[in-house]
Amino acid sequence: MASAIPLSKELSHNSISISSRLGNSLDVVSRRIGGDDSDSAATIAILYIDSLVDQRTINDHIVQPLMNALLVGAEQEQPTGQGMLERLSRHVIAAGSVAVIRTEEEALEALLNGFCVIMVDGTDEALIAVTAGGEQRSVDEPVTQTVIRGPQHSFTENIFTNLGLIRRIIRSPNLRLQGKRIGRQTQTHVFVASIKGIAKQSVVDEVLRRLDAIDIDGIIESSYVEEFIQDRTFTPFPTLMNIERPDVVAASLLEGQVAVIVDGTPFVLLAPVTFFKFFQSAEDYYQRFDIASFLRLLRHITFIASMLLPALYIAITTYHQEMLPTTLLISLAAQREGIPFPALFEAFLMEITFEVLREAGVRMPRAIGPAVSIVGALVLGQAAVQAGLVSPAMVIVVSFTAISNFVTPQINIAIAARLIRFSLMLLAGMLGLYGIMTGVIVLLTHLAGLQSFGVPYMAPVAPFIWSSWKDIFIRVPRWAMKSRPEMLGGSKRKNNARMPDWQRSRSE
Amino acid sequence: MGKLSGYQIVVMIIMFELGSTPLFELGIKAKQDSWLAMTLAASIGLLLLWVYLRIQGRFPGMGLADLLRVHFGKFLGTFTGLLFGLYFTYEASRNARDFSELTVMTILQQTPQWVIIFTTALISLYGVYKGPTVFFRVVEMLFPIVILSYGVIVILLFIARLPNYHRLLPMLENGVGPVVSAAIPDIVSFPFGQMVVFLMFWHRLSPGKKLGRIASMGYIIVAVLLIVLNAISMAVLGPEISSISSLPLLEVVQLIRIANILERLDVFVTLLLYIGLYVKMTLFCMAAVIMMKNLFKGSHAAWSAAIILIICGLAFLEPNNTVRLWLGLTVMVKLFTIFQIALPIVVLAVGAMRGLGKKGTEPETAHTADEI
Repeated sequence: MASAIPLSKELSHNSISISSRLGNSLDVVSRRIGGDDSDSAATIAILYIDSLVDQRTINDHIVQPLMNALLVGAEQEQPTGQGMLERLSRHVIAAGSVAVIRTEEEALEALLNGFCVIMVDGTDEALIAVTAGGEQRSVDEPVTQTVIRGPQHSFTENIFTNLGLIRRIIRSPNLRLQGKRIGRQTQTHVFVASIKGIAKQSVVDEVLRRLDAIDIDGIIESSYVEEFIQDRTFTPFPTLMNIERPDVVAASLLEGQVAVIVDGTPFVLLAPVTFFKFFQSAEDYYQRFDIASFLRLLRHITFIASMLLPALYIAITTYHQEMLPTTLLISLAAQREGIPFPALFEAFLMEITFEVLREAGVRMPRAIGPAVSIVGALVLGQAAVQAGLVSPAMVIVVSFTAISNFVTPQINIAIAARLIRFSLMLLAGMLGLYGIMTGVIVLLTHLAGLQSFGVPYMAPVAPFIWSSWKDIFIRVPRWAMKSRPEMLGGSKRKNNARMPDWQRSRSE
Repeated sequence: MGKLSGYQIVVMIIMFELGSTPLFELGIKAKQDSWLAMTLAASIGLLLLWVYLRIQGRFPGMGLADLLRVHFGKFLGTFTGLLFGLYFTYEASRNARDFSELTVMTILQQTPQWVIIFTTALISLYGVYKGPTVFFRVVEMLFPIVILSYGVIVILLFIARLPNYHRLLPMLENGVGPVVSAAIPDIVSFPFGQMVVFLMFWHRLSPGKKLGRIASMGYIIVAVLLIVLNAISMAVLGPEISSISSLPLLEVVQLIRIANILERLDVFVTLLLYIGLYVKMTLFCMAAVIMMKNLFKGSHAAWSAAIILIICGLAFLEPNNTVRLWLGLTVMVKLFTIFQIALPIVVLAVGAMRGLGKKGTEPETAHTADEI
């Protein structure tokens, strides 16, 4: 950026110069107050961008007090220049935060962030006051990560609302929020939240270091940040998690994770994460531990099913029919009798059809919704079977796979399963169960090699960390979760207890 | 270089030794006493394990390549290291061939063998390329699956009331002779003597852990498992059928028929054997790659690719399975004993004579850096 241009002592020059640097845009308002009738003799000017400020704040807390001050002071001798500026700052402007600036660049930045700039004739300093406003979406119920029991609010697009939501849950002075501006043009606010003493300092530093390395024109969504700070790009598996629930973010911070909050999106990033974190739902902690454990196990199994089921069906019906009980085999063979395609082709046909339906369901305007479901359910399901294009068993397999895919609480790991499913189907079609096994071994090797901010992705299964198993495939009762998950810290840490020892004996 | 935990070493020893061993009814020469032959071989293997552990104990931070150089000097050490590298490579290639023979015999009768060997080589290459840290984690993930599956199979066998202990009687019908001749050198060499490969990996154990206890624990667990599996399999089939069957364990499992649903579990067992073979092959291949890299420098990726290519080539060496089994059981077993028994004992003796590994004696050659 060019060297900063200082403000001049001449009021009209300043306001014209700043306006012109904003392209004399119509929403830049320059209000002059005081002086005699001619504009050029005004003593005070207020500059703000109409679309970014709250009109009432401007009227009630800036303009009104300024006018009163000039009126009251009309009889007395008015201070001028610097003296006037200080008087305004101390006694007149009724805004929460007021600062002094000296350059045009500072003025521009303030304007673009919804501040208003108050300039006084005869001094080369100006005041900025917080007046940010404008329409915001209010705090709503979560849309993508719903629970039956538990807090029913979610993050919004406003980062300061979001920070407030987190602070309101964790009322601890140890909650650290480190802010940054990223994006050459957008100058987006990005905050890194962590709890001092719980989060591993090296992870926090690493997150900050990777954030600093980002140099891009704009950050529109947290996925921009995610792609820049993740460990590996060429993997279908996410190594950061995105969350729209403040309660989940707070709980994760309490377990030692670090949150990256990006302005303009309700999705907050969490790091480091492990593979098994993606199968934990907020609900697990709000319902009784027995049902929570059952559902947790169910999620793991359905995730595997959503990856493997069509491949297994292809492999068994094509290569290993002898594995099936005779009656089932006969029934399957009878269904497939009139089908013109091999199982692999049949499965691909149905899977692709389903993917198309799903994409249509997400993208289409809401009003057309019912039409798509009718087409999907009737035409492509029932009619395809009656027309003899696909076998009923295949429709069942594909539908069950599709539903399994929706059980996973985190959409981004479910997407990974969708992609892997197709390659496994291909392997199954070529090499049967042997092909599936090769695929799975390659997958496991890939997963074992992944890391998220230094934490092995498959922890605590590989490497094996027994103390962290309490919250992986099952959720043990809360009194048994006496320590924080070791794996997120990377090693055994002191001060790891999250509840006193007597808690357990009392609850028995 | 990533360090390995004690648990990872135990798991790897179990998975490696389990490997493809249940595929063969070892010690069938001793008829119904095969499990006694296994026990004898396992005990001799325990002695060998002690030898290996003593060698490692002298310089806990050194891999086999460095150990050989320290004991034999630079030239001879490099030469024996190269021989060990070739031995590991050949063992890996035998596993690759096992893979393809098993596949065409059981689940993919019409697929050409080279397809199987190449796909196997590819997945192995991926594991080797990723390095020991990642591969040990993979095995950690496979371990519960394999152990649970074997457990379920044994339970199902008992539910189906298949094992009959009268088939194990009479014990020592023809005296101790057949048991000893079955155990030595065949079973000692496969699988127990193959523990020598761990000299390539033990030095990665994170410091402060007791290697001796960890390795012996893994070894004893897997030895007991193998003996039990051997005995059960013999109790189901009896010596006559076992001796003529090419894949006895699969025949055992095929006998399980419960509630009209659990039939033909042999396909699952084949997959279990695949996992075992994969682990074994990849570990041997990894050992060969690291050995070559330590001896002659060069990048991990390049050596991985080279060794895997050699393994693929070697896997096609024998024209058919009969020649291969004959070669393995008569010629190679004697060659293998050089690496599993003779050389380690020589190393132990040389070290004792030169007084290596006592406190204060520093290794003469610098450690070879392992970056993976």
